[in-house]
Amino acid sequence: MTHNPWIWISAILTLGIFSFLYKENPFYRICEHLFIGIANGYSITFTWHRILMPTLIDPVSHGHRLWLIIFAIIGALYFTRFIPKISWLVRIPIAVVMGYGAGASIPRGIDASIVEQVRATVVTKSTFASVYNGIWALVILIGVLATISYFFFSRERKGILKPLSYTGIIFIMVGFGASFGYTVMARISLLIGRLTFLLRDWLGIIH
Amino acid sequence: MSFWEKLSKIDRRFIYFTLFLAVTIPLIFPFNLRPKPMPPVQKLYNYIDTISQDKTLVVSVDYTPDTEPELHPMSIALLRHAFARHIKVGVLTLQLLGLGLAQDALATVTHEFNSRAQTNSDSIIYGRDYVFWGWQTPVLVPILGMGENIVGVFPVDYYGNRTDTLPIMKHLKNYNDVAILVSISGSAIPFYYITYAQTSFGLKIGAGSTAVQAADFYPYLNSGQVTGMMSGMKGGAEYEEMVASKLGVPGRRKATEAMSSQTVSHIWIMILIIFGNIGYFALRRRKK
Repeated sequence: MTHNPWIWISAILTLGIFSFLYKENPFYRICEHLFIGIANGYSITFTWHRILMPTLIDPVSHGHRLWLIIFAIIGALYFTRFIPKISWLVRIPIAVVMGYGAGASIPRGIDASIVEQVRATVVTKSTFASVYNGIWALVILIGVLATISYFFFSRERKGILKPLSYTGIIFIMVGFGASFGYTVMARISLLIGRLTFLLRDWLGIIH
Repeated sequence: MSFWEKLSKIDRRFIYFTLFLAVTIPLIFPFNLRPKPMPPVQKLYNYIDTISQDKTLVVSVDYTPDTEPELHPMSIALLRHAFARHIKVGVLTLQLLGLGLAQDALATVTHEFNSRAQTNSDSIIYGRDYVFWGWQTPVLVPILGMGENIVGVFPVDYYGNRTDTLPIMKHLKNYNDVAILVSISGSAIPFYYITYAQTSFGLKIGAGSTAVQAADFYPYLNSGQVTGMMSGMKGGAEYEEMVASKLGVPGRRKATEAMSSQTVSHIWIMILIIFGNIGYFALRRRKK
């Protein structure tokens, strides 16, 4: 068993979080609040020292890039939320962020998530250069068409739409199954990580 | 009360306990497993393996301590691969709590290499072979900004040095000097890299994702927007295996060590699911 006090603290906090598996309790609450408090404190301190100081305060205090003051003032308007009389000013930085975000993301988002995905779904002659790849490309094409047809609600499911949408359900269920399998794998991995820490670093049972 | 009725009323804490045993016993008494690399991991490895000396591998450590067991082995395996191949590395994080993890991965791997180094050229030296830029926010600023000028986005590195004074930065101006950027994340950050860096600058993107997210990345892998990827702890174990077997790089392989435990627990969960379903249908038939 280790004599390192930090590992002891870490192990006790891990057990505190695990205690939730039995039932909600004050020990778990303390650990949870401690984590949130430390994470926020760390975030504020680091943002001040490593972001605001080198990129804003240092250059401006030396008389360089004085135009940054305008953006600092716009950013500081977020704090007007705390003053009811002028709280409407918070709309200015929100508008700037939303405008920038929408302008930057809409054209690129369409390109990355729609145009490129449609291009990858299109089956051409060259897709069958390898039979294996060709078969999978066809499966993807059928899966995409069938799944989209399942979400086509403006017409009754009759004719070709009926078998196609049922096929879509199969693809959706396979997708859910894959996601669930991956989720199990992820959660078990995290449990393994914590138990390895307890058994190896804290108790020294495994090497 | 029948067997299936008893089973349906079992205390969930009993299931937790059996799962605890299924994870713990193989950790204490592991059996030998060698993960076979899957094509997405193989693609990522092959691409990184052929990076030329004038290009840089950028590793974006975009995860936080809650996903550390799954993702940290990936960072360590990537760094081992790059340093063994003498590929220059730039490290950053877009998650504040990722700073400590990135620092830990770099410290672990540089210590491994430097403890075996015979000469100066064998050593892994900060500023010459790698740089740790640190953290920048919000995510769009560094992702788009690095396409123009990396020093502009990170005027100082994690340690407080001016980045324009570091030798590695002389030939690392923007994405044109980057061979591939691998974003290891338990969040949507790789999507940001795909949407902004890949679409706008044509940067090659690799992804290391938690298993929960892996299914979301396959369409991007299929379209070629993601060059290769590692998914979950198994993905990390596969990359570790390739680095160890192909390059002979020693070092602790945390993801590979966990594979026996993961295998047993998966089998146990499958048994529980099968029993649960049989019980459900048996009880439903009885009610009818």
